[in-house]
Amino acid sequence: MILESIYKAFELLFSLEQEIYSIIFLSLFISLLATFTAAFIGTFLGILISISDFKCKKFTKKIIFTFMGIPPVVLGLIVLLILTGPFDQFNLLFTKTAMYIAQTLLVIPIITGNIIISSEKTQKKVLETATTLGANKKDKLILLLTETQPFIIMSIILGFSRAISEVGAVMLVGGNIRGDTRVMTTFIALNNSMGAYSMSIAMGIILLLIAFLLHTILARFRGDFYD
Amino acid sequence: MIEIKNLSVQFKNISFNYQDKVFHKNGITFITGRNGTGKTTLLKALSRLIPFSGEIKVDGLITYNAQEPILFNKTVFENIVYPLRIRKLNISEYEEKILEYARLLDLEHLLNESSLKLSSGEKMKVSIIRSIIFHPDVVLLDEPTTHLDLESIQELTSLLKILKHDMTFIIVSHNQTFMNELQSDVYSLGGSNVYREIN
Repeated sequence: MILESIYKAFELLFSLEQEIYSIIFLSLFISLLATFTAAFIGTFLGILISISDFKCKKFTKKIIFTFMGIPPVVLGLIVLLILTGPFDQFNLLFTKTAMYIAQTLLVIPIITGNIIISSEKTQKKVLETATTLGANKKDKLILLLTETQPFIIMSIILGFSRAISEVGAVMLVGGNIRGDTRVMTTFIALNNSMGAYSMSIAMGIILLLIAFLLHTILARFRGDFYD
Repeated sequence: MIEIKNLSVQFKNISFNYQDKVFHKNGITFITGRNGTGKTTLLKALSRLIPFSGEIKVDGLITYNAQEPILFNKTVFENIVYPLRIRKLNISEYEEKILEYARLLDLEHLLNESSLKLSSGEKMKVSIIRSIIFHPDVVLLDEPTTHLDLESIQELTSLLKILKHDMTFIIVSHNQTFMNELQSDVYSLGGSNVYREIN
């Protein structure tokens, strides 16, 4: 079964079937776009929260840490309720935009939370040192960004892994429409429910290969990353 | 000149109350005392890194060099010039000075190395140069000899002998030889300045 699936995976990859390529492309496109958006927002929020002192900071962090582990299907449900409620007029449900929104919201707390943890634990002394050397808030922010760069990259990788591998949210808000909103994970879920296990495993292997390739490329930006 | 008056630092169940003291300009004062008598706390209060009550008067720029020095993820040279860069000063004007200090502390060959590759003693020496390169008026050094070998302590002593005429140094140290070599004022902590609350 496994050997057959591996064979099927390569057969799928080289099948030149337009549908398969568009599914892979859509998965990558939405996950990457959502990850980049979340990286931009999450890095800013993470650094800001870690260097600021404000009321309810502890509570804010608790909320972020809670959302780091939110089940995608629950987040999908929340997005679905919002899109069919206050934003109903935009007709976003079962569109790629809805999938992008859901994945972005899923990844933001992961990146923000990881940056807060790494910044507060390891960078407290860096900021203290910078203060004693005369750095102002802007200098400290720049220094913190450069010093936390490995953690930022790690958080982005984690965020991307979460985005590309999740199925619940995109299934709920995207609807798994063939030729439109079908992505790799919803393709796997559908084939699984139809009993086409080898097809599911084949797409799973492709998903793993893509994740491995992207991690390798990202890790190259920091040679010492996995050391 | 630095002057402390009615200085007190309060933590959860311990408070440090310091005797009034004037640290004279351009010289070295050693702070001594047993563990837990508030030596590092005093340096942190002087550099305003922690809250305190009472009065601290400082004439000019003050900088604090921690017992466990933190170097940034840059080269040794970039670490040293960091205080110059944030002040937008012309680095080339300081190059000679950097080389002189690096030579004195035997760091010249390490200037282009990553700071992550240094030993604890080398890190301490780099952080000391970084603390003095922008010529602050007061330099607070927290146990600077802890990670240094005998030769390095001698090199640091030579450097401080040169610099003490231009800067004020307040140094926490337990190293008697180091203190004797520099023949300085001593501010001893202990006894009544530490108060522990028993809950």
